[in-house]
Amino acid sequence: MALNNIIIQGLLSSLIVFFLTKFNKKVGGFFTIIFSGYLFFSLISYQNSAGEVFDLIKFGDFDISFITSNYAWFFSMVLLLTYFLVSFFNPFWMKKLINPAAYNLLFMLSMVGTLGVFYAKDFLTMFIFFEIIVWASLFIIPMGKSRKSPVIYYTISSIGSFSMLYAIFYLYNTFNTFDIETISSAVISNPNDYIFVFFLMIMAGLTKLGIFPFHTWLPAAHGSAPHTFSPVLSGGLVKVGGFIAFVVTAVIPSFNLFADHMQIMGVPFENYLIMVLGGISIVVGTLMAIKQDDAKKLIAYSTVSNSGYILIGIAMVNQVGFAGGLMHIFNHAMASGAMFLAFAGVAYRTGTTKMSELGGLIKRMPLSFAAYLIAIISLAGIPPMSGFASKWMIFQGLVSEGQMFLAVAAFFGSVGSFMYVFRPLSAAFLGQLSPKHKNVKEVPFLMQIPLIAMSLLTIFFGVFPGAMLEYISKIQQSLGIDGIRIEGTKIYANTGMWDSLVVTLVFGLGFVVAAIFFFMSQKAKKVDQMDTYTSAEFIHDPDMYHYGKKYYASFEESYGNKKRVEILFDAIAMRVHEFGSMVKSWFFGKSISVSLFWITLFFALIYFWGDIV
Amino acid sequence: MSYLIGLLLLLIAFLWQLTLEGFQRKVTARVQRRVGPPWYQTFIDIFKAFSKSSISHGFIYDFGVIMALGGTMATVIFMPFAGIVAFDGLDTFFVIIYLLAIGSLGMAMSAVGSGNPWASIGVMRALTQMLGYELPFMIVVFGMIHVYGTSSISAIAEMQAGGFLDWHLFRMPLGAIVAFISVMGMLAKKPYDTPIAPAEIASGPLVEYGGKHIGMLMLQHEFAVFIEVGLFVHLFLGGGGIVAYIIKYAAVYLFATIISAVLGRFKVEQVVFNYYKVPLILAIIQTAIVIFTGLGVKIWL
Repeated sequence: MALNNIIIQGLLSSLIVFFLTKFNKKVGGFFTIIFSGYLFFSLISYQNSAGEVFDLIKFGDFDISFITSNYAWFFSMVLLLTYFLVSFFNPFWMKKLINPAAYNLLFMLSMVGTLGVFYAKDFLTMFIFFEIIVWASLFIIPMGKSRKSPVIYYTISSIGSFSMLYAIFYLYNTFNTFDIETISSAVISNPNDYIFVFFLMIMAGLTKLGIFPFHTWLPAAHGSAPHTFSPVLSGGLVKVGGFIAFVVTAVIPSFNLFADHMQIMGVPFENYLIMVLGGISIVVGTLMAIKQDDAKKLIAYSTVSNSGYILIGIAMVNQVGFAGGLMHIFNHAMASGAMFLAFAGVAYRTGTTKMSELGGLIKRMPLSFAAYLIAIISLAGIPPMSGFASKWMIFQGLVSEGQMFLAVAAFFGSVGSFMYVFRPLSAAFLGQLSPKHKNVKEVPFLMQIPLIAMSLLTIFFGVFPGAMLEYISKIQQSLGIDGIRIEGTKIYANTGMWDSLVVTLVFGLGFVVAAIFFFMSQKAKKVDQMDTYTSAEFIHDPDMYHYGKKYYASFEESYGNKKRVEILFDAIAMRVHEFGSMVKSWFFGKSISVSLFWITLFFALIYFWGDIV
Repeated sequence: MSYLIGLLLLLIAFLWQLTLEGFQRKVTARVQRRVGPPWYQTFIDIFKAFSKSSISHGFIYDFGVIMALGGTMATVIFMPFAGIVAFDGLDTFFVIIYLLAIGSLGMAMSAVGSGNPWASIGVMRALTQMLGYELPFMIVVFGMIHVYGTSSISAIAEMQAGGFLDWHLFRMPLGAIVAFISVMGMLAKKPYDTPIAPAEIASGPLVEYGGKHIGMLMLQHEFAVFIEVGLFVHLFLGGGGIVAYIIKYAAVYLFATIISAVLGRFKVEQVVFNYYKVPLILAIIQTAIVIFTGLGVKIWL
C-alpha cells in the first residue's frame, strides 16, 4: 500500500476512533489496538524501499510529500511497535480518563505524526508533523494527574519548535528549498552557514530527547501523564528527538562539513558540544533518578540518562558507537516501555505508583515482576539482554576514540543505573507484602500481552543482536559510514568482540550447574514472609517492616535536593511574567480606547514596516 | 572443548581460592595475635553448610541464589587463569565486569526477596559502594584498552611480558594504586566492608540465609574474589605462568588482607566520597597521561 494512503488512513482512523469511543468507550479502546496494529503491519513491507516519493498535498510551489528510506523505516518500526504494544492497555483505561474519546483521537494522531516526521521529504513537512505530535501529546498529558506539567512541556517544546522553524526558514532563505536531500548536498559548499542551523535544529532534538538543560519536562510530563501514555512518551516520542539529532548529524554529514573546524579530542567542536550535553544528561538523570520515590518519575529520569547515551552514540557518527546509539533507541523503547507498563499494571491494581506504599507484589503479580526484571536487566546493560549489546557498542566507540571525559559520564551512568533500576524492584515488587494489597491480582490477559512481547523481544535481540545490526549496518552504509561488522551472533569492534550466543550458553551452563547444587541438597522448609530474623524483637506490622522509603537515604542526602535548573527556569518564568504585567499596565489600562489605540498602532507599524525603514 | 576448559577453570578456581581463603583467615588471625583455623577450614564450612537444613522465603529467594552462583560461575569461565583462556576473544574486560553484575543482581534480588529490612539495607549499601569503586577502576582500564587497542584481559597481560619493570604496576603507578583500592572495595574488605557489616546490620544481605543457600552464596563470594583479584593480577602484574600467577595472586590477596585486618569501617557515603575524592582524580590523571602523552606505554625506559 502506498505510504501516503497509510498516513491518510491513520488520520482517518483517529477520527473513527473518536466517534466510536463517543458511542462506546470499550469498543473505541479496542479499535486503537486494531488501527495501530494495522499501521504497524502495513508499514513492514517498506523495509527495503528507498527513495520512493509519495505526495500528500500540493499548494503552489510547496508540497507535503514523503520519501522512503531505511533509517525512516527503522525509526518508524520502533515507534509503531511501541504504540501498538502500549495500545493493549487502552481499553482498561477508558473508564478512568476524563475524556476517553479525545484521548484515543490524540493517541492515534500523535502516532501518525511520528510517521510524518520520519518519512518527511522536506523540512517543512517534518515541522508540520512534529507540531502535530507536540500538540497531540500536549492535550493528553493534562488528562493525568497534574495541570502544571503540560505547561512545562509546552514551554520547553516550543523552544525547540521555534528554533527549528527559524532554522528551516533560514535554510529556505539561503538555498531556496526545503528539501532535505538537496540541502544536505548544498551545505557542503558553505559549512560555516550550517553551524548556526546545526545548533538551532538540534535544539528541537534536544528538547524532545530531554537532554540537559531541557530535561525538566520529562519527569513532569512522564510522571503525571495518564499511565498508558507515559510508556509512549518515554519509549516513543522521546525518540523523535533522537531522529532529529540523527538527521542533523548523520543524514546531513556533519563530520565531513565540520572537518576543518576546531577539533576537541579529535571531534569537531560542534559535535563534541552535543556529546558533552549528552554526558551531562547521563549524570544528572542518574543522580536524580536515584532519589525518586514515584516509580514513574524514576523511569522518567532514567529516560534522561538513556537519552544521553543515544545522543552520544548518534553524535559520534562512527562505525561502532553510532550503531550502538541506533540500537539503543530500540532497546530503550522496549525496556522503558515495559517498565512503565509494569507500573501501569501496578497502578491499575493498587492505585498508586509510589514505591513507599507498595511492596512484596511479586507474590501477587509475578508476570509483571518478570517483565520488569527483564526490562531492568536490559536497561542496566547486563548480558544477555539486548541493552548490553548497545551499551557495549557505545563504550567501544568511546574507547576506540579515547573520549575519556565522556567515558567518565557513561560509566557513571552505567553503574548508577544499577542503583535506580533496583529501587522499584526492591521497594515495590520484593520485600514485605502489605496487608492492604493482600487481594491484588495479576493484570488481565490483554495487558499481559505487551509485557510478554516486550520481554521476548528484549531477550531475542539480546541473544541475536545480529538480526537488528545487519539492518543498522545497511543504514550506516547508505549514510556513507562503515557498517558495523557482524558474523552470525558475533559483533566486532576495534578493541574486541562480543558473542552473545556463547555467553548466553555459558550463563545457562553456570545456571544449570548451580541449580544441580541447589536441588541435590536437602529441600528447604517454606516459611512465612514475617518469619525472619528481627534482632529478637517482636514485629507485627508488615508495613512497618518494609524497607522502601528513602531507599538510598545516606547517599541521596550527600548531594542535596536543589533542582538548580528548575530554579533557573522558575526565575526566568517570573521575569517573563513581570514583563507581561508591565506591558499590560502600560498599554492596556482600564480604558478600552487606549488599548485599541496601541493595537492599531502596532499593526499599522507592521504593515508599513518596509516603507518607513 | 571450550566448555570443558571452562569446567576445568571452575574446578581450579574452587580448589585454589578456597585454599587461599583458609590461609587468609590464618593471616588475619596472626595479625590479631590469634592462632586461627586450619587452612582447610573453608572447605569444611561449605560442605557443612550444604549438609544442613535451610529455610526458603519463596520462589525469588531460591531463584536469586541459583542466579547468583550461576552468573558468577559463568564469569569464572570467561576469566583467564595463568594463560588458560576458555573462549578465545571473549575474555574482554567489559564482558567480565558486566557478567559479574548478573551474580550480584541475583544475590541482591534473593536477599531483598527474603523480606528482611536488614537485607535491603545491606543491598542498598552494596549498590552505593559499587558506584564508588567501579568508576575509578573502569577509567584506569579505559586508558589501557584505548592505547593497546584490545580489551582482552589475557592480551593486556601479554603486553607486560618481560621483566617486572614492564608490569603496569610500575608503568602506571597511579592507576595501579587506584585499581588496588578499587579491588579492596570489590572484595568488601575493611574499611570497605560496609555492605556486610556484621555488628551494624546483622551481616546485611546474608542475614536470612542458612544451609545450602549460605553454602552457595559462600561459593559465589569465593568465585567473585577469584575474578576480582585475577583482574588486578592480569591488568597490573602481567599475569604469567601457573607458578608466577598463583604467587602474584596470593601476594595481592594477602596484602589486601593484612591491610584490612587492622582497619575500621567507613560509613557508606564516606565510601563513595572517599573513592571520588582521591582515587577518581588519580584515575583521570593516569588515563590522561596514558592517552595524551603515551608515557608508560609508548615511552618507557
